[in-house]
Amino acid sequence: MRRGGARIPNLGGARALVLHRPHATVTAILRQLSAIGLEAAQCWPVLPPEALAADFVFFDADLGFDEQFPWPPGEAPMPLVALIGSEAPGRIEWALSQKADAHLPKPVGNSGIYSALLIARQGFEARRSLADEIRSLRERVAERQTIVKAVAALGGAGLDEERGFAQLRALATGWQVTIEEAARRVVAMKAGKDDDDRSNRA
Amino acid sequence: MKRRVEIGILYSRSGHYPLLSEACRAGALLAVERINRDPTKGLELVPVERDPGGNIDRYAPLCDEILTRSAARHIIGCITSWSRKEVIPVLEKHGGTLWYACPYEGFEANEHVVYMHACPNQQIVPLFGYAVPRFGADAFLLGSNYIWGWETNRVARDLVSDVGGRVLGERYLPLGDTDVGRLVAEIRATGPSFVLNNLIGPSSYAFLKAYAALGAADPAFRPDRRPVLSCNLTEVELPAIGPAADGHLSVGPYFHDAGGDDAWLGSRPGEPAPAALPGRPSSFMAAAYSSVTVLADLLAAGLDPSDSAAFAGRTFATPLGRIAIDPQTRHASLPVKIAHAQGGAFETLVTLADRLAPDPYLSRYDPAKVFARRTLRVVS
Repeated sequence: MRRGGARIPNLGGARALVLHRPHATVTAILRQLSAIGLEAAQCWPVLPPEALAADFVFFDADLGFDEQFPWPPGEAPMPLVALIGSEAPGRIEWALSQKADAHLPKPVGNSGIYSALLIARQGFEARRSLADEIRSLRERVAERQTIVKAVAALGGAGLDEERGFAQLRALATGWQVTIEEAARRVVAMKAGKDDDDRSNRA
Repeated sequence: MKRRVEIGILYSRSGHYPLLSEACRAGALLAVERINRDPTKGLELVPVERDPGGNIDRYAPLCDEILTRSAARHIIGCITSWSRKEVIPVLEKHGGTLWYACPYEGFEANEHVVYMHACPNQQIVPLFGYAVPRFGADAFLLGSNYIWGWETNRVARDLVSDVGGRVLGERYLPLGDTDVGRLVAEIRATGPSFVLNNLIGPSSYAFLKAYAALGAADPAFRPDRRPVLSCNLTEVELPAIGPAADGHLSVGPYFHDAGGDDAWLGSRPGEPAPAALPGRPSSFMAAAYSSVTVLADLLAAGLDPSDSAAFAGRTFATPLGRIAIDPQTRHASLPVKIAHAQGGAFETLVTLADRLAPDPYLSRYDPAKVFARRTLRVVS
């Protein structure tokens, strides 16, 4: 399966698992998935080990439970599609806790599956790229104190912040690293120098 | 004793597409007549006909009427994707099957439809594979403002980008609009390698006539230099276009040209079609005829044609050649031919495949295969 590249949604050869007890709905889904060009299989009550390599997982929201999945709730490594029959709020809440990227109301007919695949894939990728961005922002936020220390060190006893920051930025550009990484290096060098000073004094 | 089987016919005999629907209707009725005369089939097909009159809101009620007031379970009908989508819920409710004999934009595989004409991997994809190495990769895309134009042009954009070309313009006209002056001026200004024409009906005819006038004024826009490509232009519409169609390219599973096996028409190759037919035979007529042929073959074999399993492992001798129906997608495996219009007819330039398996979701689309010829040229 190719991701990105051509915008023709190329689903040929993608693997899908349908976590649902044997049922007419499963037959309809498997038929439609193979018509679209995916390799699809049914499983119940748990996902087999090869689930980790699947491109899509469809799961039953009516009878599903957390232990069916080989990952913590909400952390599936692929797009999930919830198959919703009962609209009981508790069941919907549970399906939401799995962070399904799309859903299909049961009984499933001939339509809806293709759009569910595309919606789930796009939702999953958007969620993943947001998570990556949040992780990188968190890392940067965590380095705020390091930057303050580096600027202080470069500005000379904290007297000239602006000059210190300009110098840090110039170093980051020169080393071709982020400001945060440059700050880490400056702080480390400063610490090393302090250690030297201390050892000289000793 | 012949087995009597009612079959539905659902084509509009007036409205926006009378040329296409008359061609399909004539093909279906011609096949019914042939099968009823064939003693080996043991069938008497009885058409139950309804005419939505070009009114989109009449398709679902009339489909319902056929399925509830007659014994017909199979309906040959619908021209536009819109009308097909209108009747699908009715087919699902009553367990009916639609035999759909027109090229369409793909991305559907309904258990209540048999798709008898080309889907994208059997039309636009091979058409681009043929045209790009010959004319270049820069395209100007035209369409009538509805699903056929939008979806076919969307695939076209991807094909163009995969082969390193540019889309120099993409323009849509409202259905029926014939104000094509600006389109032609934009094409002249941008000079694409070819134009993909997904305009339909009068808009398409007006465009081709205006483009021919441009070619007469500026030889750089003659069809041998910058052709107009179409995925659904057939013999049916050539009389409405006249000489302006000459030299332009189309793709389809059938063209009625000299040398073809036209026994199904009851005439010799190259001879005029029977007088009862509305105009020159076309892939629309052949696909509707083939729909009835496949249906009758299965009935004669004692199978249930609404069950996909009935298609498995079988081929059918039809005007489109010996075809198969893929049980999974219920789409036909079809020949792929590229032809150009000449003097009111089509002349087949190349047969790219005799029986290409359908891929309605373009799941197996691979640019390296489609544009292999171009890649080889670049390497050499």
